[in-house]
Amino acid sequence: MLKFIKQHAESISGIGIYPVISLLIFFFFFVGLLFYVKKMDKKKVKELKNLPLDEDAGADDDNHKTDKDNHLKHA
Amino acid sequence: MQLEKFQYDNRIVRNFAYATILWGVVGMLVGLWAALELVFPKVLNVQPWFNFGRIRPLHTNAVIFAFVGNGIFMGYYYSLQRLLKTRMASDILSRIHFWGWQLIIVAAAITLPLGITTSKEYAELEWPIDIAIAVIWVIFGWNMFATILKRRERHLYVAIWFYIATFVTVAVLHIVNSFELPVTFLKSYSWYAGVQDALVQWWYGHNAVAFFLTTPYLGLMYYFLPKAANRPVFSYKLSIIHFWALIFIYIWAGPHHLLYSALPNWAQSLGIVFSFTLIFPSWGGMINGLLTLRGAWDKVREDVILKFMVVAVTAYGMATFEGPMLSLKTINAISHFTDWTIAHVHVGGLGWNGMLTFGILYWLIPKIFKTELYSRKLANAHFWIATLGILFYAIPMYWAGFTQASMWKQFTESGQLKYPFLETVTYLKPFYATRSFGGALYLVGALLMVYNIYKTVRQGKLVANEDAEAPALEKTYQQHNGEHWHRWLERKPVPFLVATLIVILIGGVIEMVPTFLVKSNVPTIASVKPYTPLELQGRDIYVREGCYTCHSQMIRPFRSETERYGEYSKAGEFVYDHPFQWGSKRTGPDLAREGAGNNRKTNTWHFNHLDDPQAISTGSIMPSYSFLIDNVLDTSTTRAKIRAMQTLGVPYEKGYEDKANRDLAIQASQIAATLHNDSIMVPSNREIIAVIAYLQRLGTDIGKNKIAGTSNK
Repeated sequence: MLKFIKQHAESISGIGIYPVISLLIFFFFFVGLLFYVKKMDKKKVKELKNLPLDEDAGADDDNHKTDKDNHLKHA
Repeated sequence: MQLEKFQYDNRIVRNFAYATILWGVVGMLVGLWAALELVFPKVLNVQPWFNFGRIRPLHTNAVIFAFVGNGIFMGYYYSLQRLLKTRMASDILSRIHFWGWQLIIVAAAITLPLGITTSKEYAELEWPIDIAIAVIWVIFGWNMFATILKRRERHLYVAIWFYIATFVTVAVLHIVNSFELPVTFLKSYSWYAGVQDALVQWWYGHNAVAFFLTTPYLGLMYYFLPKAANRPVFSYKLSIIHFWALIFIYIWAGPHHLLYSALPNWAQSLGIVFSFTLIFPSWGGMINGLLTLRGAWDKVREDVILKFMVVAVTAYGMATFEGPMLSLKTINAISHFTDWTIAHVHVGGLGWNGMLTFGILYWLIPKIFKTELYSRKLANAHFWIATLGILFYAIPMYWAGFTQASMWKQFTESGQLKYPFLETVTYLKPFYATRSFGGALYLVGALLMVYNIYKTVRQGKLVANEDAEAPALEKTYQQHNGEHWHRWLERKPVPFLVATLIVILIGGVIEMVPTFLVKSNVPTIASVKPYTPLELQGRDIYVREGCYTCHSQMIRPFRSETERYGEYSKAGEFVYDHPFQWGSKRTGPDLAREGAGNNRKTNTWHFNHLDDPQAISTGSIMPSYSFLIDNVLDTSTTRAKIRAMQTLGVPYEKGYEDKANRDLAIQASQIAATLHNDSIMVPSNREIIAVIAYLQRLGTDIGKNKIAGTSNK
């Protein structure tokens, strides 16, 4: 089965352009990523990063719980 | 808004936690056993099942897939339900996943000591178990996605992205690397050969580290570190960038395991560039982890759970700094094949995976048993013993690595190699002993944890179904102004899965293109011929005994290696090797040209050496293979093996499978005759004859069209 794929891949002319294309795709992907991350809404970011701490409260509750529930007491 | 009541399934979390602890102790114990075998080779190599070559894969598989694997699932099932505010979609699937995974582990624990192995590192399990792994993995993924789809929290927290990426990528890796042709019920040949096989294997091997030991654990870090510290992750934005960068770049880095090998140069360079770049996303994760604790370092001083986590994240940082360095050619020339690699992986394994697992266990067990940890003092003792254990393990191994490499490379003033290989082995014994001590310390720490958790469990009671409530998910989503596309992705699990798949496939395909094209990159060597049936059977015994765990078959183009082993290895020499046997560690010498030039020994030498290595090479740490003298070679498989090789494209003449056993008998009796001349009265139908035939064949092919070519030591 694989040998058929293999032969096809070998016969593609100019396959060397593939790595270049993928590199460009991801270069622009990352630039886009940086750009959007920079533009992110601060309040929403805060809400998102509090998700693990908010699990007993509503998702939109920014005032997450403090030490009492999420932390073991010290011996 | 109406609150819906539901319950979290804690029983599955507990089961995976117990399995993590059990297999962790087993895996470490086997590791300690293997380590001590290098110190006391005569006593501890209980043949044949507990010989080093058979239990080293047992150790790696147990630690990676049983200890860390169960650790991943423990963390998944706990955090996934809570982050999504729902119970797992199906308790039955959760249970099938749990028991299926444990059965696979048991199957591995039985088959590996029996010598049933593919010899592809961290993928040694044979084809029926490979199929079982694929099935159970799909069940696990199915359950995870069904849970995500019925969630009550719209956004997928960063930990879940790592879980999704892990699921997708491990599936792809496992399937591609497990392409193999079954020969018998428990024996298969890799679909790929030689260079191609090596490239696929290390694409897999490296990404098993990336997507089994790293991404799921980063997911766990993003959940459990904030929980334990009770503060949100340092930067959510950083986590977005570092997630995409990590999964994109990791998948390319495999060829750094094959530097200076017979892999085409341009593929090596590709691997180096991406391996080096990896430092950025890796450190992004480490920084995000450590800075989560900013302003809370006073807590770290007091809280043993945070201590475990801080050491884990620090070890992650060290290992991911070292990794890119090791992939630079100049450093790799020194580190590769030595104990440096062993030190490197154990900083990751003991430090990052081990310590994070312990931290999570200490945090999670009291939670689901509604109690306090039995003893913080004991946990503290565990922390310090484990940390010391890591130091006692890693430092001697780094030292051994440097020493080994420099001894291998040293020449006298007259241009001779200064040290015979054996001397570089005996010199390392004290380092091996110290390393074993470090491993033993680490295990003692883990046993303290077993006791501590046992007492904790005894004093509490499992909350099997934990009550929770959350508002139902609104059917229509109100988009915020200025919302960006990544937030869209965070809400949509399926597009997210597809996006991750595309990202890893791009790297994967580009990585695979060299694999497909490699055929045109491998200059065929006319004199390289398929193995004779006896050599093929001998090779399969070589695979079965895990000889590759200590002996490489890859001579790099350095003067210190060509002087010692002969002409450097050519890609074209391996075209019939299903699977390849290049190895990754030289605890013993390279065997690529064991049958050629000045390396060649007599059949009698091999017989006596396999029977009792220490009698021939004083101070050798190789186990005895005397059982090969008693074992009768199973020739009933020869026909099937030749047929399989023909299917894979090895040019045996048509109908050769019917003549193979006749040729096998002739060659075997020739070898037996030379042994008889030296008064060794062994019948020609024994396994040792086949192994000798294989060893005598190694590296001889290219000598045939060269007159001298090699000067060996």
